[in-house]
Amino acid sequence: MKQFILLFALLFYQQITIAQTKISGIVISTNGQQIAGANISIAKTYDGSSTDTAGRFSFVTSEQGKQLLKFSAVGHKPDSLWIDLKGKTLSLELKLKEMVNDLNQVTISAGTLETGDYKKGAVLSSLDIATTAGAVADIVAALQTLPGTAQAFGENGLFVRGGLGAETQTYFDGMIVKSPFGSQLPDIASRNRFSTFLFKGTTFSSGGYSAQYGQALSAALLMETKDMPEKSSTELSLLSVGLSATKTIKMKKSALIFGGNYYNLQPVYAVVKQNINWDKAPIDGQANIQYKLQPTKNGMFKFFGQFNRTQAALKTGPEQMAVTNSNNNYFFNSTYQDYLNNDWKVQAGISYSRSKELGGIQENDYSRFDELTQGRFSINRYLNGRSLIRTGAEVYFGSREDRYNTLSRSFDNDMQAAFTEGEFYIGDNLVARAGARMEHSSYIADWNIAPRLSLGIKAGKRGQVSLAYGTFYQNPDDAYLIQSTNLDYEKADHYLLNYQFLNEGITFRAEAYYKKYSSLTTYDFAGYAGSYGVNNYSNLGNGGSGYSKGVDLFFRDKKSIPAGDYWISYSFVDSKRDFRNYPSVATPPFAAKHTLNVVYKQYIPYLKSEIGTTYSFSSGRTFYNPNNAQFLSDKTKSFHNLSLNVSYLTSVFKQFAVLYASATNLPGFKNIYGYNYSVDGSNRQAITPASKRNFFVGLIITIGDNTFNR
Amino acid sequence: MKTIKLLTIVLLFSFKGFTQNNEKLNLALQKGLVMIDSAKGEQGFQDAANYFERIASAEQKQWLPAYYTAFCQLHTALLGKQNMETKDAIYDKALTFVEKADEVSPDNSEIYALKGYIIFMKMSLAPQARAMTMIPKATGIIGKSIALNPENPRAQLMLGQTTFYTPEAFGGGKVKAKPLLETAKEKFEKETNTGLNPSWGKSRCLALLQQSN
Repeated sequence: MKQFILLFALLFYQQITIAQTKISGIVISTNGQQIAGANISIAKTYDGSSTDTAGRFSFVTSEQGKQLLKFSAVGHKPDSLWIDLKGKTLSLELKLKEMVNDLNQVTISAGTLETGDYKKGAVLSSLDIATTAGAVADIVAALQTLPGTAQAFGENGLFVRGGLGAETQTYFDGMIVKSPFGSQLPDIASRNRFSTFLFKGTTFSSGGYSAQYGQALSAALLMETKDMPEKSSTELSLLSVGLSATKTIKMKKSALIFGGNYYNLQPVYAVVKQNINWDKAPIDGQANIQYKLQPTKNGMFKFFGQFNRTQAALKTGPEQMAVTNSNNNYFFNSTYQDYLNNDWKVQAGISYSRSKELGGIQENDYSRFDELTQGRFSINRYLNGRSLIRTGAEVYFGSREDRYNTLSRSFDNDMQAAFTEGEFYIGDNLVARAGARMEHSSYIADWNIAPRLSLGIKAGKRGQVSLAYGTFYQNPDDAYLIQSTNLDYEKADHYLLNYQFLNEGITFRAEAYYKKYSSLTTYDFAGYAGSYGVNNYSNLGNGGSGYSKGVDLFFRDKKSIPAGDYWISYSFVDSKRDFRNYPSVATPPFAAKHTLNVVYKQYIPYLKSEIGTTYSFSSGRTFYNPNNAQFLSDKTKSFHNLSLNVSYLTSVFKQFAVLYASATNLPGFKNIYGYNYSVDGSNRQAITPASKRNFFVGLIITIGDNTFNR
Repeated sequence: MKTIKLLTIVLLFSFKGFTQNNEKLNLALQKGLVMIDSAKGEQGFQDAANYFERIASAEQKQWLPAYYTAFCQLHTALLGKQNMETKDAIYDKALTFVEKADEVSPDNSEIYALKGYIIFMKMSLAPQARAMTMIPKATGIIGKSIALNPENPRAQLMLGQTTFYTPEAFGGGKVKAKPLLETAKEKFEKETNTGLNPSWGKSRCLALLQQSN
């Protein structure tokens, strides 16, 4: 009892000697909603309280005088207020502003489709790319299910908004890849040379892109390699077309990754009926090595080296011409980036590409050799967090040599480029990016200056509107440059208007564009120039022009179907050109009017399987008919493709494994890409896919790790 | 005896001038641990998280306030019915406090165990998009936690729990988790009074073990 009295005395003592102030009130969001669970505290003390479900709080402090009252809540910007504590009760209404996050931050979305695992706005993840039915883990094939892209129809490259495949430039960690695809065979496209699993994300820009990127009239494909791996592992793939293996050795601050593959299509072609008369089915061998080093907390050094060899031989066209091709390709890339402090970031890189193609057309031999060395340096200066100014410079040293039997021709082209660009956030609802790029080519012996401008404006909580304008230059194709010293840059102007809506699991995009081409290369040539072999052109010049206009739509829903996911993309393009040896303005074959893709994936836990299906549609494309006086006025019938794949997750020798099977064009639609006419025009042969249907089976095993680590 | 203890506490609390800062902190932490013990659901853990956050912001050189802030934030999202975006933000906030704790007390097995827990739960918000990268990340961090102190029962529990919730198809499952959880249980039984240091996890371990049968 005595003790109790003492206790009360003490408590009372405290009460009267230390004057206390009661602080109470409410915390509301700027939109008027009460915030539950907000934290209110007096700086440098333990005093404070949380708000209840009605946003109300109340606490008592014994602090005196001027104090800083801090208040914060998840999803809101923390704020503070100076208060004077004199023992008088304070009643406060505290307001918190909603925080900007990835989902509701205003960005420039015009022309930009991001894929990757780290960005909330990403349209596809790297796993999506690997598991899209019909794409067979080819990045470019998976991107062809996105809006703005067209079916490739047997030609190499990514055809964007009525542009040629060559108008899309591929960047590997910011550095240009001179030949991202295997050799173009007659009417047969090759795969992208790089494995999907090298990359953490890909930004696909179908127009209006940043001044950092040049030498692309239509699109930029920015592939970013993965950072440090999480652990060491070994991965083996046994495929119906060959073998591949990758070993990852993780060290404390660095990692070494090496691997390779050998694909031989002969056994598959023996089973799957081919429309192509193969003399030698394609063989593809590849070896690569990567080294990653993290010397500082935010610094990253990456080295990548790859050697790729492909071989094939076939007979083509109505005359059954014998064509052979082998290609040796090397690509080395080394980049470094680091933050000097919170405000400065530096990036530097050096890369080297080398490609040698040897081939024969009937009894004639041809070869093509090209090299490109690139150096790049850029600096970012961040201004109060989000805004930044970026500036940089690039140098290129390129050369190319063509041989045809005993004849040869070559040219060298060195280039310098500089860019500067500012990205400014004005409040939370507006972002503007303005910049320019300047390039000089020694071979063209001229400068070009390309201004770029884009704007993002918030429209509602989840929506935004973006606008973009830009001028883009690209050197004429090497095949033209090597035959003329009188050529100038080709030019495109882009105008884009985009609306994007992002919510948890839902993405909707609509984009309208207008692209104006000028100074396109024109030449004289009898007939229609094929995309392989060696052609001689005369009267090369820059008299060509054209336009593309259209609308792209994209809708993705990862939410409505449990463990299911689908996306729909539709592209409309109206494009006409007068270039090459076109006698008049015409819609080129690579600009089909309507393209539709529907992709659906469903994981079935019971079966431990993911089933994916892709339906692709493309309206008819134009083709050259020498018997029709009106140029490119014939059209093929529509293209349909329905592909299916199944991935079954299992274990083999106690190691995690994926059994994968896919089928392209399962219903066996008879697709025709166009026609090849005999020299006299009297007969024609339909250009079709290499086989009506295609089947693929693979087993991928990850060793030394019992978790899914790809 | 109890009264004397209470009296001492009150005394210590009252005579600020005579008390060491550490004792003030220890008392505050004790009070916080009581809040955790009696916390029911989202609101209780949110209040506790806010409470520890207030201590953490005044005591920048101590790892425990930041650690418990992260622990309570984690449970706010685990037990709450927030939408995914909010949960993500809460886990991110928990991670920043784990990082703060790690800066003050590097190579601490407890901090790594909690970090692995949070990353795994963040992964589970969107497994289809995140499992591929975040499961190995979480298991790597939990592995480090075990390496730093193999006797830490929470590190062992996290290994068992991660395995428990990883689908069989991806190398996890109840069967594989059971021996791991049993190891964790042994370690919990060996654990003596930890004072203010982390001591949570035993009931969670037993609950998971029960489900593994």
